Amino acid sequence: MNEILKLINVTKYYGNGSVVTKALDGISFSVEKGEFTAIMGASGSGKSTLLNVIATIDRVSSGDIYVDGQHLPEMKEEKLSAFRRDQLGFIFQEYNLLDTLTIGENISLPLNLKKVSASETQKELDHVADILGISDQLSKFPCELSGGQRQRAACARAIITNPALVLADEPSGALDSQNSKTLMQTFTMMNQSLGSTILMVTHDPVVGSYADRVLFLKDGKIWSEVLKGGRSRQEMYHEILSVTAALGGDADVI
Amino acid sequence: MRSCRSLRRWEVMQMLSKLALRNVKRQVGNYLIYFMTVSFTVAMLFAISNVIFSENLTVFIMLMDLKQGLIGVVVFICAVVAFVLSYATSFMLKLRKREFGTYLTLGMTRKNILTIFISETMLICIGALATGMILGLFIYQGMMALMMNLLEMEFSIAAYSVKGVVLTVCLVLGIFLLASIASAVYLKRVSIYNLIHGDKRVEKTVRHPWIWFVITGIALISMIVSVILFDADLKNIVRYGHFSWMMPAFFVFAVSVILFHMGLSKSLIYVLLRRKKMCANGTNTFVLRQLSGSLSSNSMMMGFLAFLLTFTVIGANFSFLQKASQEEQLNNIYPYDIMYTDNTGAETGEAGVISREQAEKIIEKYVHIQNRRPFSLYTSGSSEFYTQIEGADNDGKVYTDCFMKLSDFNALIEPLGFEKVTLTDEYMLIANLPRVEAINWEDFVYARNGITYSLHSVESGYPTFCSLFYYVVLPDEAFEGMKVEAEYIAYDTEDHPYDAAALKEELTYSIPAEYEGYDIFIERCDYTLREYGRQSQNSTNAILVIGALFAAAIFLFMAMAILALKTLSSLSEDKQRYQILYRLGADTREQSRALFHQTFSFFILPFAVPILMSIPTAVICRHIMEMAGMDILIQQIPAIASVIAGVMVLVYLLYYGATYFIAKRVIVEPNL
Repeated sequence: MNEILKLINVTKYYGNGSVVTKALDGISFSVEKGEFTAIMGASGSGKSTLLNVIATIDRVSSGDIYVDGQHLPEMKEEKLSAFRRDQLGFIFQEYNLLDTLTIGENISLPLNLKKVSASETQKELDHVADILGISDQLSKFPCELSGGQRQRAACARAIITNPALVLADEPSGALDSQNSKTLMQTFTMMNQSLGSTILMVTHDPVVGSYADRVLFLKDGKIWSEVLKGGRSRQEMYHEILSVTAALGGDADVI
Repeated sequence: MRSCRSLRRWEVMQMLSKLALRNVKRQVGNYLIYFMTVSFTVAMLFAISNVIFSENLTVFIMLMDLKQGLIGVVVFICAVVAFVLSYATSFMLKLRKREFGTYLTLGMTRKNILTIFISETMLICIGALATGMILGLFIYQGMMALMMNLLEMEFSIAAYSVKGVVLTVCLVLGIFLLASIASAVYLKRVSIYNLIHGDKRVEKTVRHPWIWFVITGIALISMIVSVILFDADLKNIVRYGHFSWMMPAFFVFAVSVILFHMGLSKSLIYVLLRRKKMCANGTNTFVLRQLSGSLSSNSMMMGFLAFLLTFTVIGANFSFLQKASQEEQLNNIYPYDIMYTDNTGAETGEAGVISREQAEKIIEKYVHIQNRRPFSLYTSGSSEFYTQIEGADNDGKVYTDCFMKLSDFNALIEPLGFEKVTLTDEYMLIANLPRVEAINWEDFVYARNGITYSLHSVESGYPTFCSLFYYVVLPDEAFEGMKVEAEYIAYDTEDHPYDAAALKEELTYSIPAEYEGYDIFIERCDYTLREYGRQSQNSTNAILVIGALFAAAIFLFMAMAILALKTLSSLSEDKQRYQILYRLGADTREQSRALFHQTFSFFILPFAVPILMSIPTAVICRHIMEMAGMDILIQQIPAIASVIAGVMVLVYLLYYGATYFIAKRVIVEPNL
């Protein structure tokens, strides 16, 4: 196993002068290749900020982030764009599909940006669409699809470039429980069958229970960590619930 | 109680005005295009209003026509401006519909929102009125300089007119009022849901794009064919005095321009999207899809903008050409400074008629007569030439032929720089109408006093010495036994400008006549004054050129403003889409390139064909000048067309540049 993602003492401040908010407070952890990791925590705990700095959408104030051996804080804007395009796949709560493009065009877009040939793009598109069961939907526009189908299309777009790391920000946030379950099964399939390394932010214990490992954030720090090990998803779920309760209780104590 | 209520109302008004002022500050970028357009419109209205009421232009009586003509132009343009600015204001409203939707959900009334929006628009309009008037001060002087040049008057810094300022303010207020009514109607009708979620609406895909593609092709062919037919029909006008294809061709061309752009807007992207290799390259698919929605939903607007711009190009070209051809026309219509025509029996001493001696005394008061060249037209009483002319006896009347002595003819043409004509048993036919020239005279011979005269030539290049549509020049010996039909005198005067309108008035007299049993007086003048003709043409040309330029400038700015506002009104949606692109790995350069392609394609679509129309317009103008024998002007045509196209491209770049940089600032730069 090798490290795909490594964070060392990452800190992120917002604001300046007398009004400074510490969103991330010296976070350090690493993710191995093929690992499915979830990050959980209450609102304002720093989950999304953490995902944004790893996604290179935001800059860290201090600390180091390595993705597949590349040191992100040192990278210039032009290199970061190429890095996002080649190394990262994104899945967002609001799907972030372009409403003007068909599903097929949305999925192909990362390959187009990489200037992959039309025939190769078509081959890859057919492949991921087949895996995610959306081959019939490729010529439709996002508005013609259900939330679950849209999120699967977003998954297909995230993995079509075969990225080193797939980042998911509350991917089931806009879905009902059934679609949410189907999506998590898709994530599990992506992780187990395709070998995708996934880092997912969620506040839903059910969704978190699909991960191999859950990191709990509180006030910008890693507060706790739960590993699935050989346990069932149900056991993992109960463990997450108890940690969440403890997390909330602790907050009450403070 | 009442004072408490009025205090609350005052507080609400204060809050709304604060909001309006802050919004204007915050929305400076978005309002820039609107501000530019209103300022320029005000400047143009200010300039033209001052031209209308300028004291410098009241010198000539005939300029009253000019004033009325310009007022007509201004009223028409104001109607167009009012419509376009109402449209522009509604764009500004739609640009911020989410914000207004939020205000409504917070409990503000529609009246409050309208007050905010109208206050903001009013602030912009007051600013634009001030800026426009300052700009108008300079445009007015430029316009007056051009006007004075067209009227061949000396330019001095023109005074500003209070009436002009008042007219400008009234026009701007009227336009503002109309725009406010349009906004009020929109705000009254729109639902809160549409205000908040309206921008999430997905553009409808085009139905039957291939049909539109075929329509585009047919419209393109129609445009080309109608231009060719129009050009070909010019010959009919020149040769036969009537046209058969010109009006239908003109109509087909106008419709084709609209349909071509509508069809192109609806089908081009669809066709390009089928090119997989092209689409697979970078952000091409993204750009094409961005354009697909905006072009197909604005296809009608694209058609009308292209129509407006095309006729801006054509109108501006023809108006300048009209002015350029004026001198040539004058030389042809008025070969001598003053021409006397004895068509009233002046020598018979008819009551009220000004005698030739009296008339010459009057002329001398204005300008010194240097030479007199008397000549006559004779008649034999027969109509042998007349009956040869096709269609000449359409009205059932048969006119007698008129002849001019060769010695008279040579005496008239030699001072004008033409070579002396020699006729040996020959006749020369002077054709003042193309249809006379078109007849084959080769076999026609004319017998007179035992001599047979054969054709020497049919001429149409000589200036007009009389108002007949043809006459025949014969050697002097042929005139024995002919009667004088009319007497003429061609005068040369000193070469300096004089008050031709006053001279004409003095030379005009009234004679009694009878019309349908009533005794009436007819005004008559036996003298044709070249200077009067020049001044009349000057004022006509001044109206034409200033009117066409004013209309062209306004249409151009309005068209550009609509394109700019349309682009900016979809910025919030575009911003979200470009953010997704950024996350997917499109760097700043790639995003800028995509934005450039998207905005430039949107702007260029209704602009390219009108600018290219400069070429066929110049070719047609060249043909007109060739057929009219104005060869000197042919060299000026490319320069005129290039200057007009150049100015249009400059305005285009100004608006496109401003739009692109605003869009880039909003869409691309925040991602850095």
